[in-house]
Amino acid sequence: MTFDAKALIVEQVEGIRKSVAGKAIIACSGGVDSTTAAVLASHALGDRLLAVYVDTGLMRKDETEDVARTLKELKVNHRILRAADEFFAALRGVSDAEKKRTIIGNKFIELFEREAKTFDADSLVQGTIAPDWIESGGQLRDRIKTHHNVAGLPANMKLKLVEPLRDLYKDEVRTVARTLGVRVAERQPFPGPGLAVRIVGEVTPEKTVLVREASAIVEHEIEVAAKDKRVPLPWQYFAVLLPVQTVGVHGDLRVYGQTIAVRAVDSIDGMTATYSKIPHDVLDRISIRITNEVPGINRVVYDVSNKPPATIEWE
Amino acid sequence: MRVYVVDNGGQWTHREWRVLKYLGVDTKIVPNDSPVSDLKEVDGLVLSGGAPRVGIDPEKMGKNGEYLDAFRGPILGICAGHQFMATHLGGAAAPAKVPEFGKSVVKVHEPDVLFEGLPDRFEVWESHNDEVTKIPPGFTALASSPNCSVQAMRHRDRPLFGLQFHPEVEHTQFGPDIFRNFLKVCENST
Repeated sequence: MTFDAKALIVEQVEGIRKSVAGKAIIACSGGVDSTTAAVLASHALGDRLLAVYVDTGLMRKDETEDVARTLKELKVNHRILRAADEFFAALRGVSDAEKKRTIIGNKFIELFEREAKTFDADSLVQGTIAPDWIESGGQLRDRIKTHHNVAGLPANMKLKLVEPLRDLYKDEVRTVARTLGVRVAERQPFPGPGLAVRIVGEVTPEKTVLVREASAIVEHEIEVAAKDKRVPLPWQYFAVLLPVQTVGVHGDLRVYGQTIAVRAVDSIDGMTATYSKIPHDVLDRISIRITNEVPGINRVVYDVSNKPPATIEWE
Repeated sequence: MRVYVVDNGGQWTHREWRVLKYLGVDTKIVPNDSPVSDLKEVDGLVLSGGAPRVGIDPEKMGKNGEYLDAFRGPILGICAGHQFMATHLGGAAAPAKVPEFGKSVVKVHEPDVLFEGLPDRFEVWESHNDEVTKIPPGFTALASSPNCSVQAMRHRDRPLFGLQFHPEVEHTQFGPDIFRNFLKVCENST
């Protein structure tokens, strides 16, 4: 027996109908999980559903425009909130990874509760999948990291939580997404806290620009190499900005610049992963482009850790 | 066939459930303090791994001991489940000299139904701080890795199996085959 996407769709559309008597909002980042959940919920609830996408200021290059287009194409009733200033203000001075995740989770819920009130919704649909609640821990299970959509929820939350994909892993969600005709079915995972967990240490708008530009280069070069069949497209591939400054030489002058770590991993479900064997000439090109095109970066390193012992994201 | 997964708080407990589900088994994750009487209609048990350190906080292993004493069907202990099986039945577990995280290779020394159809060396994934340091009376050690001498063990008469590595994760080679072999044992004992 393998995974039966059609049965899951029927079961979950029915389940959402049963659990939501009135109106619901869905937290939608435009990724595979939340977009798939939005389509399921939209099938179940029609215009009693409002998808809310939050531009946290921590999104990748051109992401907000892309998500808006996806939601429009899928004919899901939606709203785009621009909240970058709020997120950066809440994150000011915070460098602890878990604190950052919690602050972002709380901010998300604050915005969703506000939107739910305006829309008169009493339920919150989320695209939570198995690794989110597994890694968030609870009781016997240790917390590996706070996933904003699970451990970031306040205990006194008034909205009723509906999570149709809770028992699935990413590969299964992709199968559901393909069956539903969701364009983003093959999109690489991107964490809810966004680029905030790819900046080790304090998050600032300036650092966000650096990691965003570096990530765009990593994504582009690896996608080109994968298209040319030089390397299988990794499960996830991105840049991380490290709080490490090192010496470089630029035009006969000493510089003291920042470091980007390139991360690319192969996985099926995100629960175990191996680092991708990216050909050296591709890494070379990524390195040359980042150190020449992203101001302030004079060193690029490649992360060769598996999960476990490391996790895929650095925070 | 019905095989339940006893949840000892592992990162991969739910993966065990997924593998069993994919193999067509009627399966469910149950908390490790479920009464033994809930397991009457069950053909086999998997004792999952988990965050508890068997030697330090055995109370966090709930009723695993009662399952090992009272449940007569096949039991597969994984990681903490395997270590607890050893300590509960008269062996020992302790912090590993060299803990293993991620990729390793096991070598099977003793052929066993659990490894039927598998090569005698294959790649496995690990994630453990403790290890079995003494196998319990009546058990045979089946496999080892360079840094851990008891990667697998089984009872000679009862269908009790322990694995230190994780057959439930995608990156372990032949994982589903090991589960399939365990299910054959469950089928034959009902």
